[in-house]
Amino acid sequence: MRRTVVVLAGLALLAAGCGKSGHGAGGNVVLAVDVPVSGSPYVAQTIKQGVELATSGINSGGGLIVGKDSYRVVVKVYDNHLSARTAVADTRKALDAGAAAVITDGTGADATWELANREHVPIGIVYDGGSGLVDVESRPNVFRIAPTNHGIAFRYAEYLIPKHFKVGLLHDDSAYGQEGASDLGRAFSESPESVAIRMTLPAGSSDLSAQILRARRSGATALLVWAQPPTIAAVLTAARSLGWNVPVYTPPTGADPYIRQRLADHPDWVDGLTFAGGRLTAEVGTGPFESFQSQYESTYGADRVGVRTADGKQVVQPPELAMYAYDFARVLVAALTRAGTLDHAKVLTALNQVTIQGANGDERGFNQQSHEGVVDDDVYFARFHDMTYAPVKDDPLSSTLPSIPQTR
Amino acid sequence: MSRRKLLLLASAASSALVLPAAAVSAGRPQQVVLPGPVPYATPVPPLVGRAALSQVYLAPRLHISSDQRVRVGIGPDARPVRIRDRQRLVVHGKGDYQLAIGGPIEGVRPAPGTQSTPGLRTDQLLWAGFSPGHKVLAADVFLRPRAAAPYLPLRLQLERRADGAVLTVTNATAIEQLVYTGTARPPELARLLDDTRRASLAGVRLTGTFATFYGEVTTLKSRPRIAAPLHVRGELSLPGHAPVAFDRILGDGRPLSFRVEARGTGTPHVRLEASPAQVVRLLRPPGAPTWAQAVERRPLPVSDLVRKLMTTRLQLVRSDQFQTYLADPDADGRSRTVYDYETVAFEPRPAVPGSTGGAGGGGSDALLVALAALGALVVAGGGLVAWAHS
Repeated sequence: MRRTVVVLAGLALLAAGCGKSGHGAGGNVVLAVDVPVSGSPYVAQTIKQGVELATSGINSGGGLIVGKDSYRVVVKVYDNHLSARTAVADTRKALDAGAAAVITDGTGADATWELANREHVPIGIVYDGGSGLVDVESRPNVFRIAPTNHGIAFRYAEYLIPKHFKVGLLHDDSAYGQEGASDLGRAFSESPESVAIRMTLPAGSSDLSAQILRARRSGATALLVWAQPPTIAAVLTAARSLGWNVPVYTPPTGADPYIRQRLADHPDWVDGLTFAGGRLTAEVGTGPFESFQSQYESTYGADRVGVRTADGKQVVQPPELAMYAYDFARVLVAALTRAGTLDHAKVLTALNQVTIQGANGDERGFNQQSHEGVVDDDVYFARFHDMTYAPVKDDPLSSTLPSIPQTR
Repeated sequence: MSRRKLLLLASAASSALVLPAAAVSAGRPQQVVLPGPVPYATPVPPLVGRAALSQVYLAPRLHISSDQRVRVGIGPDARPVRIRDRQRLVVHGKGDYQLAIGGPIEGVRPAPGTQSTPGLRTDQLLWAGFSPGHKVLAADVFLRPRAAAPYLPLRLQLERRADGAVLTVTNATAIEQLVYTGTARPPELARLLDDTRRASLAGVRLTGTFATFYGEVTTLKSRPRIAAPLHVRGELSLPGHAPVAFDRILGDGRPLSFRVEARGTGTPHVRLEASPAQVVRLLRPPGAPTWAQAVERRPLPVSDLVRKLMTTRLQLVRSDQFQTYLADPDADGRSRTVYDYETVAFEPRPAVPGSTGGAGGGGSDALLVALAALGALVVAGGGLVAWAHS
């Protein structure tokens, strides 16, 4: 054991010696990650791992050069328990710790941004697409890399209305569902004849038979369900149990492993489920994302969904959420480098001026007019078959995108 | 042939210019690259900004056309005090795009009809997204007048008199340019003049072409001033009096300046529209429907034909240059620009959306532009002649 310690210490010294010459040791740059470790562990873990993956290479490469000094990047994780109040407390702690930025799923961002803005500290949202969370004018320190609810809702309107469906717009009564319903309402407002029914579903209820029967009787020929994964699973269960093979469309929560786990005994019920998400590949092809995925899996292992395909292969979840966190951390690092100082206000300004190549091969960055790192055009649709999904072929963007391997 | 390819060809031709002295003295035929569609005589327009442009990506199958309406607010002396360019890009084809358009930009906002939202960085207008086959990207771009005004095509001057006002409108695009001359065969020159005229009348960009010269190719001793022909129409008015209307072509063999007088008292109001025009008058064949028929009917001096061919093509290139006040990200795309000038109430500049904040400093713009101009002139200087070894 002692020999191991000596060897590791030697390696550490060697690594320090290999640091970028000519730069003084500046100390630590703290990146705070505030995520629902105990409320939504999958989301929390994948965000945390995305940030760590982005920064680990920097430290092993000699540190982050800011101005004349080299800094070690330290990731501090806080658990917001999906509670806005806790998120506020976490943000205070992060600011006290001198955080250069707070990277969050979005919990409590309506309250935390102001605290952080007093010190010009950026908040990076990498999960919640809620409208109003990001506003370049009134919340100059809030940035987001994740598909927006607004973008998803309008892309769905663009996709579904020409199909002449009578759409049942369903949402659950979670905050997520209600926000989504509001965006869907706006997106479909120009085409009210396309909407058969609007309905609120009780979040957490496992039996939605009555509500789904009502939707069927309304004449709906498609369901667009903006809800948490358990509600989506319950909608599928109710519809298929009734023998109603209605097409079901969802926001990104439709890709959550929970739904496939819940319906593992009825894989055919998952078949045809379509969700909207941020594209995982750019026009350059699958190379960049697969390279990122390989790096992610070699560090943390694959995110196994816990179900198998018909031919017995393990299904894994592509690290989409990790990609957003990874990209935000790298944009932040680029801004720190450009600013040449840890001065929060200067870093905030630099965040509007830098671009990186994202994990999916696309350019990622913000600007003075927009703090959204995923543009609405990048929202695509994917459909499940045999527990894995592939981009649909009847949407102009989606039809150009290749599938990402999801079995091991 | 694309403008990109022509630019490379012209650059290659400039290096070839020094090689074949022996060929010249022997009177051997040589092919000379004619002006058009590039190079432009100056690097600006299109406008440039102070910052290096972000990475640009345009899927190979995408093409972009650009239509611009530049609204120039002029003060009491008719000098520009505000410049706003409404640029409407139409993306044709399916694929990804990531565009950055430079210029002395202090703000942008979405313009009517846009299907995406413009982004802004220091001196850059940004567009990013996916075109499903056809997409409109429209923005109002607010420019720093001090930096952008020198590259407007017109200079206006307004004199107040006791009994009225006098507006002087001058074509500001004129620039001295090198023009090559030599001996060529009239039928070929006539054919090239007819091709040039057809392109001009159709309002399309010139395509790259060559002419065969025999013997020495030289430059004219005095460099002619080449101006983009401009179609200018508008009116000058004083309160209580009927406006004085005007509709002129500045260039294309006509004067580059004119004056308009209006009688009355009070504050004069100018409103005019200018657009780069085609060369029509100078390309009209003498006494025949075509140049080919004209040279068949009676001999025309070769030196006159060569000069006409060179100078009219240079004018068309200059006219094409002013069709892109802000750059079209697709160098081969169709571009159109109309410039509107109108008297505005003189007041401090209003805050513009997405202001770059502290981005003033026309001095640095001017320096950048001067350096860019120097560089481009080195490339463009002798870039017209290519020698073909027979």
